[in-house]
Amino acid sequence: MTDPKVFSDATQMAGTDETMIELSGVDKFFGDFQALKNINIRVGKQEVVVVIGPSGSGKSTMIRCINRLEVHDSGRIVVGGIELSDDIKNIQEIRKETGMVFQQFNLFPHLSVIDNITLGPRQVLNLPKGQAEELGKELLVKVQIPEQANKYPGQLSGGQQQRVAIARSLAMNPKVMLFDEPTSALDPEMIKEVLDTMQELAESGMTMIVVTHEMGFAREVANRVVFMADGEIVEVGTPEHFFDDPTEDRTKLFLSQIL
Amino acid sequence: MDTTAATPVEKVSVVVAPRRSGPRVWMKKNLFSTWYNSLLTAVFGALIVWVVFRLGRYLINVDTEIIRVNLRLYMTGRFPSEQLSRLWAAVFVTTAGVGFFARAIVRNGRRKAAEAGLGFERSNWQDVVRRFWPIGALVVFTLSFTETITPTLLTLVAAAIGVAAYWLGAALPTWMVHRSWAIPLVGTLMFYVVLAGFGGVGWDLWQGFFVNIVLTIAGISLAFPLGLMLALGRRSTLPAVRYLSVTYIEFLRGVPMITLLLMGAFALGFLIPGDFQFSLFLRLLIAITLFQAAYIAEVVRGGLQSVPHGQVEAGQSIGLSPWKTMRFVVLPQALRNVIPAMVGQFISLFKDTTLVFIVGLLDLLRAVQISTAQPEFFAQGLEAVVLPFAAVYFWVGSFVMSRESRRLEKKLGVGVR
Repeated sequence: MTDPKVFSDATQMAGTDETMIELSGVDKFFGDFQALKNINIRVGKQEVVVVIGPSGSGKSTMIRCINRLEVHDSGRIVVGGIELSDDIKNIQEIRKETGMVFQQFNLFPHLSVIDNITLGPRQVLNLPKGQAEELGKELLVKVQIPEQANKYPGQLSGGQQQRVAIARSLAMNPKVMLFDEPTSALDPEMIKEVLDTMQELAESGMTMIVVTHEMGFAREVANRVVFMADGEIVEVGTPEHFFDDPTEDRTKLFLSQIL
Repeated sequence: MDTTAATPVEKVSVVVAPRRSGPRVWMKKNLFSTWYNSLLTAVFGALIVWVVFRLGRYLINVDTEIIRVNLRLYMTGRFPSEQLSRLWAAVFVTTAGVGFFARAIVRNGRRKAAEAGLGFERSNWQDVVRRFWPIGALVVFTLSFTETITPTLLTLVAAAIGVAAYWLGAALPTWMVHRSWAIPLVGTLMFYVVLAGFGGVGWDLWQGFFVNIVLTIAGISLAFPLGLMLALGRRSTLPAVRYLSVTYIEFLRGVPMITLLLMGAFALGFLIPGDFQFSLFLRLLIAITLFQAAYIAEVVRGGLQSVPHGQVEAGQSIGLSPWKTMRFVVLPQALRNVIPAMVGQFISLFKDTTLVFIVGLLDLLRAVQISTAQPEFFAQGLEAVVLPFAAVYFWVGSFVMSRESRRLEKKLGVGVR
């Protein structure tokens, strides 16, 4: 965070003017290791932000702090107008409004697909069973696997499981979706179906933060690309700026290694 | 988008080698392949023939008079004979309850399957026979030692009541079926009232194999919830709860069960004011429950640790509270993972109920011992008859439990990743 220009760019939102997520001065330590160093970023409503960077750069840690799967040590995190604090009520509120999709899907293996999706609406939003299942079926149509409703996660392919996971998050009608390397555990031929689902979601106006190594997705779908290294945000910009004309040397080095 | 569409499998022609089989080939291959295998076959073959011969001769010549004379002592101890009708009534209540409960479970299963739009495979009667024949065989085995026809007739009545209850269960109103858990509760209550209510026989006089069964069922149904709470307590974020649970578990696991039974029998009385004294049966049931709960807590803890942390995160990320994450996400998976260990614990509880004879409760083991001390059977080596007889009962119970456990594992294994 040496260059003030980069800092101001990091808070410059695309999408609408309304702020959905704001991180300011966020630090996170694992023991002596500092995983996040003074993270500042604002994400606008309906904005799609793609976070890339080498492994161990703090990308996952950053988005896991947003719904409190990790506890940040200092700084502020505000989601949809609610500031994260130790208050369990606040945390629950934020988690209700924040969907998360994991690298390993983390579907509930003991529940059928439809029960995976309806668990949240029924137990958190207190929706009656019939209504929740109707919602679940709608979402399965949306992710294009309505015929799998009564199967168990173990009977589905990786791509199908990840789409169920997306539907499960959407069932809570979240304002924000966080994706933590959603395609990294997939076989190559299944990556596209998941990315397509995510792109549709982005086009429908969902606010999204996506940690991924899929550069094609970043270039096509992102409003802004955030590049992180060693726990810092190194550079933020539009996909065009980022891929074609990056400012920072570390970004150039990273891009030269992967492209 | 469906990626599971099957790719056509190419037909592969396989040349099947002519299979040589038949008993001679099988024997040559499995029993006499080398000279030392032939030797082993000969030695063990001779041993088996000898054992079978001796056992057969023993079983043909064994005098079961001691069993026939003492059968009632073995099954019910010194249960007052003028009150025996109450015991039969309790048996009827049990079979009726089992019948109703079975039907309610079947109806619930069918309803759930129908809601999910799936076919429902109701297990047919052959299945039920395959699952529970050992119990039926044990009943027949027991009845074969009776000297009048009455017990057999009453047993048939009990079976008929069970079947009738299952049949009538079709007429149970739906709201009752939805609350099928209430059937065992009501059944237990009625069971107790029929036995002990209105001047009946209190549990201080429940004896024989009957008391082994009651202690097992009551022990399991009390120790399991307590153990579950202790396991959850051990993982609690509240230090007071956590340390209390750890202390309890580690303390009780470090004490032999016999010590606890002795304390229950002889020491507990001094700790309780005179007006609140309760019977030996109850004190021993408490001792068994407290002891087994500590072990069950450890089994459950193992299960909780086997559930990956990603499951908790997924639960949290959809906004489930910590309690609901435990209840709907972690616990179901944890318990499924420890079914074998859990049932192993239940089986050992069942067999450990015989330890109560040390402190003077007249259970099956104590009853068979007493019978060999009766003047007409004294010092005739009849332990060789009655101890195997008692063992059969425990073996059948353990066998059925372990088979049911395997069945449950398979049934719940649908969603294994």
